[in-house]
Amino acid sequence: MAEVNITVDGKKVTAPAGTLLIEACKGAGIEVPSFCYYPNLSLQGACRMCLVKIEKMPKLQTACTTVISEGMSVTTDTEEVHQARKSMVEMLLGNHPLDCPVCDAGGECELQDMTFSYGAAESKYIDAKNHKEEQQWSPVVYFDRPRCILCYRCVRVCGEGMDVWALGVQNRGVSSIIAPNQDDHLECEECGMCIDICPVGALTSGAYRYKTRPWEMKHVGTTCTHCADGCKTTLGVRRCDTGMEIVRGDNRDKSGINGDFLCIKGRYAFDFAHHEERLTQPLIRKDGRLTPATWEEAFELIGKRFAEVRGKHGGQAIGVVGSTRTTNEDNYLLQKFARVVLGTNNIDHHRTADFPALAAALSGKPEMTASMRDVFHAPAMLLIGNNPTEQHPLLAWQMRNNVRLHRARLYVVNSQPIKLRRQAASFSQIPAGGEGKLAAFLAGDDSAVDALLNEKTTRDSCIALREKLRGEANLVIIFGSEIRGNNITSVVKFASAIPGAKVLCLADYANSRGAADMGLYPDLLPGYHRVTDAGKFHEEWGGVPEARGLTFPEMVESAKAGALRACYLVGANPIGRFGIDPYAFSHSFVVVQDMFLTETAVMADVVLPAANAYEKSGTFTNTCGDLQLVKKAGEVTGTKSDFEMIVRIADAMGFDLRKLVPFGRGAHFDMGQSRGAQSGEADRHAVWLQAQGLEPQMSPFDPMAILDEIQRLVPGYDVSRMNLLAGNEQHTTLAGSGTGALQNPELIVPAQDDLFSSGTLGRYSRTLNSVIENHHKESAETDVAAD
Amino acid sequence: MPILKDIAAIAKGMSVTFREMFQPTIVENYPDGPGPLKGAKFQERFRGVHVLQRDENGLEKCVACFLCAAACPSNCIYIEAAENTATHRVSGAERYAKVYNIDYNRCIFCGYCVEACPTDAITHGHGFEIASFNASNLVYRKEQMLAPMPAHMGANAIFNRAEVEAGTPALPGQGS
Repeated sequence: MAEVNITVDGKKVTAPAGTLLIEACKGAGIEVPSFCYYPNLSLQGACRMCLVKIEKMPKLQTACTTVISEGMSVTTDTEEVHQARKSMVEMLLGNHPLDCPVCDAGGECELQDMTFSYGAAESKYIDAKNHKEEQQWSPVVYFDRPRCILCYRCVRVCGEGMDVWALGVQNRGVSSIIAPNQDDHLECEECGMCIDICPVGALTSGAYRYKTRPWEMKHVGTTCTHCADGCKTTLGVRRCDTGMEIVRGDNRDKSGINGDFLCIKGRYAFDFAHHEERLTQPLIRKDGRLTPATWEEAFELIGKRFAEVRGKHGGQAIGVVGSTRTTNEDNYLLQKFARVVLGTNNIDHHRTADFPALAAALSGKPEMTASMRDVFHAPAMLLIGNNPTEQHPLLAWQMRNNVRLHRARLYVVNSQPIKLRRQAASFSQIPAGGEGKLAAFLAGDDSAVDALLNEKTTRDSCIALREKLRGEANLVIIFGSEIRGNNITSVVKFASAIPGAKVLCLADYANSRGAADMGLYPDLLPGYHRVTDAGKFHEEWGGVPEARGLTFPEMVESAKAGALRACYLVGANPIGRFGIDPYAFSHSFVVVQDMFLTETAVMADVVLPAANAYEKSGTFTNTCGDLQLVKKAGEVTGTKSDFEMIVRIADAMGFDLRKLVPFGRGAHFDMGQSRGAQSGEADRHAVWLQAQGLEPQMSPFDPMAILDEIQRLVPGYDVSRMNLLAGNEQHTTLAGSGTGALQNPELIVPAQDDLFSSGTLGRYSRTLNSVIENHHKESAETDVAAD
Repeated sequence: MPILKDIAAIAKGMSVTFREMFQPTIVENYPDGPGPLKGAKFQERFRGVHVLQRDENGLEKCVACFLCAAACPSNCIYIEAAENTATHRVSGAERYAKVYNIDYNRCIFCGYCVEACPTDAITHGHGFEIASFNASNLVYRKEQMLAPMPAHMGANAIFNRAEVEAGTPALPGQGS
């Protein structure tokens, strides 16, 4: 695009043609204040804060709606401009209540900042303010009308960004009111974007209401533990009697892959961590009852029993189930523990997508996996199956806004009329279960088209769609768990024929991809290497059992037959999720690590209280393969991280920990005596050492020691440690992965979570439950009204 | 006659001494003086143990805005906020301080919290005898610092005379 030269306050500024003046000024480091302007939303020109003087224009102009033109000469620093800003702030404060001490936005309010920077010290208004009572629009959204400054950001983000259109404007001019879609309440996706974007405290969060003030919290940017999209959520934590309490989740620095976006789960559903049913001490079954015990007792008992079973019956008598919500380090360590310490390949997890098939299909091909950022920039997207609006809110946001801002073409093929069809250039509704046939058809099998036809989709339209897609360079193909096994191979085959095409396979939980990458499979090692391939893992670990292990259903059968003598479940609740007969494990010694007494935990012999992903550090891999840091935010006294517990159990079994966790290696000099950060200052030396992988990991409980090993041994994970630690996502590729192995497609059980549910975590989240109840109540009411 | 000069000088000096001997005492007779203050006297501006004030309706003035905690240079104020409800109204605004602790191990009586308070809820009283053998006794709870209810509304339970005479609880910093 052509460059345009303008002058701002005597400074020469060059920006591409079409740039808004406010953005050009920002680029030159000159602040032009504004309320209603928000990047990537439509222009409003409502607040009049960004008025600047443009040469040869008779009046002051709004910088947020003026496009720069060649030779434009702008001044932002004259007495006239200052006076205009001052008057604007004064008028905004005319009816704005000065209740900052009780307002939740106090301390991070844009109006406060603007008044401080540009406003007058006092007001000329003496009239009584027009007060209106605060309204509760939903369990999580409160609206305080007098505080509203009518910037319309909420209306625009809800409509344009979220495509929900739940907020609107009533009346005109000075009596305009922001109004919800249902008279006095909202019926929406409860994403909270309106609260986040509100420059003042007009829209406030029900979950954070009056809890604390912004400066009282510490802010920890970590990865959300709910769906598999991997949004960055910033948790505000505050000390409390039981450790550190998470009091708020928001999208504070907008530096994550999610940009401005965060859904209800990332924003509010952290409250499971402080649920009153949270386990805070180990439980051991004595005389048929789970009774509280000490950690030492628990580890000793587990170590003894595991060692006994391994000694008497061999490793095949022990089963291990991993989690899709523990970190990569936990998962890697767990499968290494199973294979090296317990000597078994009986390890599985709750599968929600067929990653081994994807790895197999992509093996040996150049980089073909799409990252979450790719979805926002791709010129064309094909979505097969799934309903991202409900199951992958960030992905849906990326697709919607790619269409809106970059005019990308979205092709949707689904058995249901999903909401994303509203953005689609073409929507094809196919019969339920036809997704696999579609993959075959795309790959060139014309006979498969018969299974796709119905009254809306014809043979010609299918062929036309395929031809159109073949012409879309850099197409991103996104598919849900409906496509498994050989169908993935078909999709990859179709994609390989399109230049620059990439694929994205959707799983359901925060670290589903990580669990797969880390080898929680009975026949696959980390990086999708087969257990039978004698490779670097055998060398490094000193031998891995080569017989294929048992999948989870096989473990259940084996337990019923009495062959599975011990079972170790880490952060998994298969009894509750899959409806398995809990008596299946009555002959086995069962150890469960979890946060709550789940259906699985109640039948265990030992229950260990675990920390969740918001209470430990490590890494998560989202469904696209973007590796991100998980940072410790909250803390609940009496819990331990899964990592520590696995190590303690290995220790109790008498295993040499150095063979399990490579700690105590790295730089052996300079243990920190010669350095020391001043308060508030980053210890740059430590940061550098850590980034270079030289930090001496002195503790066997240090997940970074395992990250070293992961980065060394798992293909695709050798990403920049510096970037990872800086909080950026690092895309891992499947190109160098092992050959995978064909999995039984029946083992994939989609989570079926919607916007307001999140597996076991969702059950213990008060906010999510209150929203669900509220929605049920509303739909019941409307039913009655309709009758 | 230098000796006469010396005598005169001594006499002059002693005259001040003898004259002052018969003047009333102006130092404070603390702790042997009369009354509950044991002879201690305060300027109005003296900054002693804090008092959390009530408004004319007997409601707490504190709205838990945390500004005192933010202003506090020794970080001795701990607050937990909660929302008033129709059935349980504690303060005049939407929110009130469910927990309000001041750690007198750390407080330096600088008065910044009083300066910061937007509702004039926290003030310095004249309580001063707060020394304790147990440091944890120096963390004062809201109930220990709250001003009594206005006379027409009935006394705060904590200021109940009978309880005071029974020796529980300790009552520093009343009145201002």
